[in-house]
Amino acid sequence: MAELTVETRDVEGVTLLYPKGFINAHTVRVFEGEIQKALAQGQFKIVVNCAGLAYIASAGLGAIMGAIEEIRGNGGDLRLANLNETVRNIFEILGFNRLYHIYPSELEAITSFRPAGAGS
Amino acid sequence: MRARKPSLTLLIPSQTSFLGLVREVTKKMAESAGFADGTADRLALAVDEATTNVIEHAYHGAGDCEIELRIEDRGPEFRVEVVDSGSTVDPRAVPRVDLGRYVSERRTGGLGVHLMEKIMDSVTFRRSARRNVCSLVKRKDPAAAR
Repeated sequence: MAELTVETRDVEGVTLLYPKGFINAHTVRVFEGEIQKALAQGQFKIVVNCAGLAYIASAGLGAIMGAIEEIRGNGGDLRLANLNETVRNIFEILGFNRLYHIYPSELEAITSFRPAGAGS
Repeated sequence: MRARKPSLTLLIPSQTSFLGLVREVTKKMAESAGFADGTADRLALAVDEATTNVIEHAYHGAGDCEIELRIEDRGPEFRVEVVDSGSTVDPRAVPRVDLGRYVSERRTGGLGVHLMEKIMDSVTFRRSARRNVCSLVKRKDPAAAR
């Protein structure tokens, strides 16, 4: 079984990433590759749905850090949804919950990209 | 009669492809020591980070070296030692985590050690018999320590 797979799909102009497994120094290239693929396609609104993510090590957090400047510089953002207890805890330990928008559900993360007043 | 507490020694090549095995073994041992699923995952993460540090900093990415992991349920505490014979890395030289600089300078240095320190009760580094020993300790709550 692969240690990390990352499925993707687009909804309302938002690229959704579904990492399944764990992100560490070995598997980070897979995760990083999918982020870079979205950026290369001009997709700067990204939601990482962490429902299938067992944990994320510092290498994975580094991958997010490495891309966020380009993403936000192009008017987009990388937002996170469905964090389990472990992943949420890691984000809180490092204060990443103050750097990134985190949503309880994928739908809330997607709709957060809608312009204000666009309705639901 | 008191059951003997498990201990395990694992020798792995200094390659990141073995981090999955390190994670699995650490998690199983942590669960066997009485830690809940979420805590066992975090302990596995701390050991993953310590092993990654050895590969990247003590062995500078060389894949033909050896890393020894000693995982031990010592009753009141769960202890993991990560041992290498690479260059000595002074953990005090690792830059402290500075959240403000993460964004402005894309700094990620020190995240791994910081995570280890936050997850474990104690993280120490020592030199012993020409080897580096990183010792990670997590105390159990009294109910799980019996």
